[in-house]
Amino acid sequence: MGVRVVAMVVAMVVAMVGLVGADVNEDRVAELVHLQSQSKDGVVRMDDKKFRRFASPDVPRPYALIIFFDAEQLWGQQELRLEEFRREFGLAATAYIRHNQGGSGERKVFFCDVEFREAQGIFRLFDVQTLPHVRHMPPGSGDHQASVDMKANESPRTAEGIAGFVTARTGYECGDIERPPLMSRDRVLVLLGLFLVAAPFVGKKLAAPGSPLRDSRIWMAGALAIYFFSVSGGMHNIIRKMPLFMQDRNDPQKLVFFYHGSGMQLGTEGFVVGFLYTIVGLFLGFITHIAPNVTSKNAQRIIMIFAITISFIAVRKVISLDNWKTGYRIHAFWPSRWM
Amino acid sequence: MASTGKETANGQSAKAMGPGTTPITAPSAAKAASWESYYSSVKNFKLKTKQQELLIRIAVLVLIYILAFACRLFSVLRYESVIHEFDPYFNYRTTLYLTQKGFYEFWNWFDYESWYPLGRIVGGTLYPGLMVTAAILYWVLRFLSLAVHIKDVCVLTAPFFASNTAMVAYFFGTELRDRGTGLVAAILLAICPGYISRSVAGSYDNEAVAIFALLLTFYLFVKAVNTGSLAWSLGAAFGYFYMVSAWGGYIFIINLLPIYVLVLLVTGRYSLRLYIAYSSVYIIGMLLAMQIRFVGYQHVQSGEHMAAMGVFFLMQVFYLVEYVKKQLGDPKLFKAFLRVTVTLAVGVGALALIVGLATGYISPWTGRFYSLLDPTYAKIHIPIIASVSEHQPTAWSSFMFDFHILSILFPAGLYFCFKNLTDGTIFIIIYGLTSLYFAGVMVRLILVATPAVCLISAIAISATLKNLSVLLREKAPVYTSTKITAKQKASAKTGADQPLPFQKEGAFLLLLGALYMLINFGFHCTWVTSEAYSSPSIVLAARQSNGERVIFDDFREAYFWLQHNTPPDAKVMSWWDYGYQITAMGNRTVIVDNNTWNNTHIATVGRAMASNEDDAYDIMRQLDVDYVLVVFGGVTGYSSDDINKYGNWNLVILLEPCCVTPIV
Repeated sequence: MGVRVVAMVVAMVVAMVGLVGADVNEDRVAELVHLQSQSKDGVVRMDDKKFRRFASPDVPRPYALIIFFDAEQLWGQQELRLEEFRREFGLAATAYIRHNQGGSGERKVFFCDVEFREAQGIFRLFDVQTLPHVRHMPPGSGDHQASVDMKANESPRTAEGIAGFVTARTGYECGDIERPPLMSRDRVLVLLGLFLVAAPFVGKKLAAPGSPLRDSRIWMAGALAIYFFSVSGGMHNIIRKMPLFMQDRNDPQKLVFFYHGSGMQLGTEGFVVGFLYTIVGLFLGFITHIAPNVTSKNAQRIIMIFAITISFIAVRKVISLDNWKTGYRIHAFWPSRWM
Repeated sequence: MASTGKETANGQSAKAMGPGTTPITAPSAAKAASWESYYSSVKNFKLKTKQQELLIRIAVLVLIYILAFACRLFSVLRYESVIHEFDPYFNYRTTLYLTQKGFYEFWNWFDYESWYPLGRIVGGTLYPGLMVTAAILYWVLRFLSLAVHIKDVCVLTAPFFASNTAMVAYFFGTELRDRGTGLVAAILLAICPGYISRSVAGSYDNEAVAIFALLLTFYLFVKAVNTGSLAWSLGAAFGYFYMVSAWGGYIFIINLLPIYVLVLLVTGRYSLRLYIAYSSVYIIGMLLAMQIRFVGYQHVQSGEHMAAMGVFFLMQVFYLVEYVKKQLGDPKLFKAFLRVTVTLAVGVGALALIVGLATGYISPWTGRFYSLLDPTYAKIHIPIIASVSEHQPTAWSSFMFDFHILSILFPAGLYFCFKNLTDGTIFIIIYGLTSLYFAGVMVRLILVATPAVCLISAIAISATLKNLSVLLREKAPVYTSTKITAKQKASAKTGADQPLPFQKEGAFLLLLGALYMLINFGFHCTWVTSEAYSSPSIVLAARQSNGERVIFDDFREAYFWLQHNTPPDAKVMSWWDYGYQITAMGNRTVIVDNNTWNNTHIATVGRAMASNEDDAYDIMRQLDVDYVLVVFGGVTGYSSDDINKYGNWNLVILLEPCCVTPIV
């Protein structure tokens, strides 16, 4: 009989805790939904306090948490592309909310992010050493030990990859990721309309004999621009999104403008080298055709000497820069012995 | 400007008999006299200027020919006559098949030894130009009773065609400006590292022949535009056919020619010569190109070829308009006609294009070439293209490495071209700029830009050297009174009216500077060729700590082990890099090879390699695999082995087609 009483008491306590828990849970879910609707992209910003409330293991959670670990001081590092990843995370969150509106997955998964400066405790709790880091905390009363992190080589760092991770872990779909297009459809239509209307007038202007299209100087400027862009590695900088300069790894105060190592380059480096190239070529043309028209002989001589010195220095600089960057030492092959 | 041949050193003119010979009247005198006359004519042998120039020119061209061939032989001298890299092994195998079985068997070949169990239609999926060229060379040499092995012919095809390309560059330079430019262009192209990289002895790949065909087509086309002759246009069409049969890069030609024609039309340089040249080349070239099965009907169906067709029709409209203008005397009537024609032409053209695209008859640009227009496309959507190291964007040090001073002289050459605009120079400017732009997008395309850069730099060098030597050769003017005569006014530009003691010295100094620069260029090219571009990746060399060289022939040993120790119908699974080599040297069936035409099959192999042993075994049993070949760098420190690859790209390709981003 005592056993039965104890069991009934325990059941009552559990039921009461359950009721209380249910209340607490309803509050938590409601607050999470509220925070979610307030945020820009459906990602709830958590700090230590909020995290302890929403993720506490005392009361079982009915929802899962997908946590994005962020650190604003690392947004400057180009290789990490942390800001981009955070944007993708937001896209996945928005997609999930939209897809599961009114469905079974609603309020079952919440996306949140924690920032290093506000939530150092959480970082220490999960022992997060490297970024980026995304974790999934399953529903229930598991604590941080029960969470699983998203491995970089299993899911790529795109919104689709995050969606795949979420689906694999929770079973709920995120739906299609909608990326905002560069220009809205209306704007495109307006531009197209303007283009069609203006085309005949502009075309007539361009086809006339005195138009800029027939002036060889315009073409020459365009040609030099294409040359400059290409030879200075402009495409490389655009495709790889290289910055203009980097912070020196050893000395954060110094800035590095030239990348040491072949195959990669920084933005400023490209501009400097392109400028040096173009200068020499233009000087050659200049002294061939424009200088002889200068009347004063002394001025001619000065221009000549100036052009020669600058070209010489520029070529020397480019070659020494190339030697430093790639580490190659070009040398001639002199015969060392007869056989 | 050179001294005439008549003024010889001893002041004698070219007479048959010189002084000091006395006529002998003995019976044998006739014979002796003829001997004497012959001897003295040899002693006083003096060429006329034109003959001197011809001799020097021919001697230089012969030397350039030999140099272009010789500087590509580093790897043959260091190792042996072996075929390099991976793709050339497939080309070698097909050439072998062609020489053994004949052309029809080759053209209709279905290869069941690769891509097991799918097989591969070889005849319809390759560009036959290279193989047919090598086979023809082989048959010709055999016909002349020179018992060569097909492998040696294949190895030396590339240097042979590089020499021919240098000759074509000479003719092209002559066409653009003058003979001096031609010579400089030939020598620059002969040693430029950008071209050497893909045409060393042993690099038996399509580009070896294709660059020759490219430059030949361009030269013939420019010649056709300059002369307006149908014969040259026909030659250009056949050159284009050779290019289409040799390399997929013919897309560049079929898009560059329309751009060139458009630029000429826009700048008001329409002429009948242009019309004849372009129409003939387009029609005949297109018909010929359709003979290659791999290309098929792409010239009328693929979006990449539509520009040429559009410009062709535009040319017809232009010609019609010009013709009507000549017939109609009344300008007002003509204006009305012009307006109607233009509207109609634009409308019909746009309608045709839209209908074609909408019904799907005209296919859009394929990924390979679309990634040139939108360079970020391949990285997101086709990782197998983005993973190739040759497809990375170019940093400036790569330009410096491959071009050295040519990239500095390029704007000077552009400037000289603009100062002296002709149809030919406009072409080379457009070719140079478009190819340079694409070379910036992909490292591999530096090869296509090399002839243009060499030609334009040659214009700069030749013009500068000519100006400097004109200054040097000027006779010192006689200092007359201060009366300014017309002659002196005319020569005021060159500054010859005042005795400038520094003029000649300055020119001489500049000439020395130019010489120093070109000598350094020669050093650079030789060093780069020797150290960077002459390694057959199938044989590796390294230096031990005591300085001795160690040669690793592991690849070939492994393949020959396969050939000798496995049954003939064994199937070998390996990563696709080694497929061609295994079939060519090991003579065994492979699952995937470098053709990479079936990404799912490659992904299956990748999955087998990346899974644990149980899963992998199931997959391999499904594929009927008997042997697995894995490359391991290990002790030698070979860095591009399979273990290293599995850190990066293999898993990315495995996860296709769902959205993939490289993890680097």
